[in-house]
Amino acid sequence: MANYEIVDHTADWALRVWGRDLADLLLQAAFGMNSLMVGEGTPLELVEPSPELVEPSPELVEPSPELVETFPELVEGYGSSRSLTLDADDQETLLVDWLSELAYFAEMEQLIFPLITLTNVTPTHLDAQIRGGIVPELAKHIKAVTYHNLEIIKTADGLEATIVFDV
Amino acid sequence: MERKDFKRISPYIHEIPKDFRPDMRVPARFYADGELLDMALGDKSLDQLVNTATMPGIVKYALAMPDIHQGYGFPIGGVIATALPDGVISPGGVGYDINCGVRLLATHLHREELAPYLSELATVLQMNCPSGVGQGGKIHLKKQELDQLVEQGGQWALKRGYATEMDLERTEENGRLPGADASKVSDRAKKRGLDQIGTLGSGNHFIEVDVVDEIFYEKAAQRMGLFPGQIVVQIHCGSRGFGHQICTDYVKSFQKSIRQYGITLPDRELVCAPLSSPEGQDYLAAMKAAANYAFVNRQVLTYLIRQSFEQVLAGTGVRDTVYQIYDIAHNMAKIETHEVEGKQMALCVHRKGATRAFGPGSPVLPDAYRDIGQPVLVPGSMGTASWVLVGTEKSMAQSFGSTCHGAGRTMSRSQAKRTIRGSELREELEADGIHIRAGSMAGLAEEAPTAYKDVDRVIEVVHEAGIAKKVARIVPVAVVKG
Repeated sequence: MANYEIVDHTADWALRVWGRDLADLLLQAAFGMNSLMVGEGTPLELVEPSPELVEPSPELVEPSPELVETFPELVEGYGSSRSLTLDADDQETLLVDWLSELAYFAEMEQLIFPLITLTNVTPTHLDAQIRGGIVPELAKHIKAVTYHNLEIIKTADGLEATIVFDV
Repeated sequence: MERKDFKRISPYIHEIPKDFRPDMRVPARFYADGELLDMALGDKSLDQLVNTATMPGIVKYALAMPDIHQGYGFPIGGVIATALPDGVISPGGVGYDINCGVRLLATHLHREELAPYLSELATVLQMNCPSGVGQGGKIHLKKQELDQLVEQGGQWALKRGYATEMDLERTEENGRLPGADASKVSDRAKKRGLDQIGTLGSGNHFIEVDVVDEIFYEKAAQRMGLFPGQIVVQIHCGSRGFGHQICTDYVKSFQKSIRQYGITLPDRELVCAPLSSPEGQDYLAAMKAAANYAFVNRQVLTYLIRQSFEQVLAGTGVRDTVYQIYDIAHNMAKIETHEVEGKQMALCVHRKGATRAFGPGSPVLPDAYRDIGQPVLVPGSMGTASWVLVGTEKSMAQSFGSTCHGAGRTMSRSQAKRTIRGSELREELEADGIHIRAGSMAGLAEEAPTAYKDVDRVIEVVHEAGIAKKVARIVPVAVVKG
């Protein structure tokens, strides 16, 4: 179930995100931003160009000639599976850094990562395994993830944060 | 915040006194008429204005232009000046799109002469000028070339044949902020910048072919070569991923700086460092690199626009040269000298969604414009008018040589998307005789004119308040959008 919503903001886009704990909040924030980037309301499975791209198997390590032809510059991102380790001074910075990484991959390589495994999450650290693929077109360009009024607050059910993006 | 919290200084200046909030260091002033004031009270933009009045080293007042709207950290349409040496510089006070700005080009053509070729021109402009999310351009730079480009700015473009001497003379700072230092820019920013030179990007950026609709200040219009019915071209874009990443990097590192320098702020996006500190100097040098990148970006787009005109008009018997009127930034921090309490002071003027508007006599203006004042280029919302203004003595005295930068949003992007269909909007605009070439229909809907304030009203305020003077109103005939 989606644990994020798009909030009205005059000039840019904002997301309100809930999580049981920090790891869940980071995960939901990534899903929410994915949804902004591929188009509001688009089910995430639609962003996966093909199952092979999401679940790379050994025989698919070499990209197909069609893919090379269509996205010659993006071959490197084929069937992408990446590992990230982030360290930050506090949990808000960790959240901004995490989303900034994903926005960077989207801008540079048109890569979206619907499959995410987060481990060793603390307010100043995370390890992530992310898997995804190329989308032919992005609906929204996230120029940057801002700190505007950013605060991860405790609620009765867990944590909540509102993130404003520069678009 | 309510209307009663404002003190009326003049019909077009409303002040929030310094005692409104205990953390304010100076009052905040808003240029507006009654209706624009009510509109601004509809979102958080004026609270954001008050937040900027807390910045260490701020002088006189925090300012907002009539096109103010809610941003992140600073409001869009905000101007603040901090005193050197220990006043602060804030990456958030410049914004992610460092040196986002506008360039106005002119032709010698009357609209009737171009009419038969306009549709083709719109198509060719869209083909030649890459736009859209992360879209790469035709120039692929090596890292070392990028370093040279961002340190040399307009001079790099001149050497490569993308610019003329006259283009540079008619660009703010001649297209090169001295002191740019590529070593203060992260590898990631450079990676994002390598192939985005000569690209528009997405969002509200555009290339627009316009017609001069009406002249208001004959002498200035003549000096710029503007006449009614003339075809002109506007470019609105900035420093792309290169600038976005520089802002991201420094907003992050300044989270530490505020603790180090004991600065307390109402919003983490306002983070800053004293200009005299190594951190402040590093950001300034990196920001200048992004500013130069943006000048070159608009310069290469100018080159592509000239090519497009040549391509479309070849063999038609219509001959023309596209020349530059001016190029001006509206997201920038600049070290400038202004009068404060009767004394000339060195200040860091942050303009976030505000345009420099230097008055007549300014030594930084090219000879042709020195006695009329600096041209100010104010794009309206898509499909509506845009304006050419000039700076005045009053903008120098009152607003740190600054004025408005656009129409200003009133409707959120999500609301615009819910209420307006891009395809219908396109049909309406085409029915009005405007050729639309847009990468995305949803993106088009977000930029619908009804999502913005009336630009003519915004211009009326700055003109009546005296912080800019109307020269010409121009209206669109073709729009290329990212």
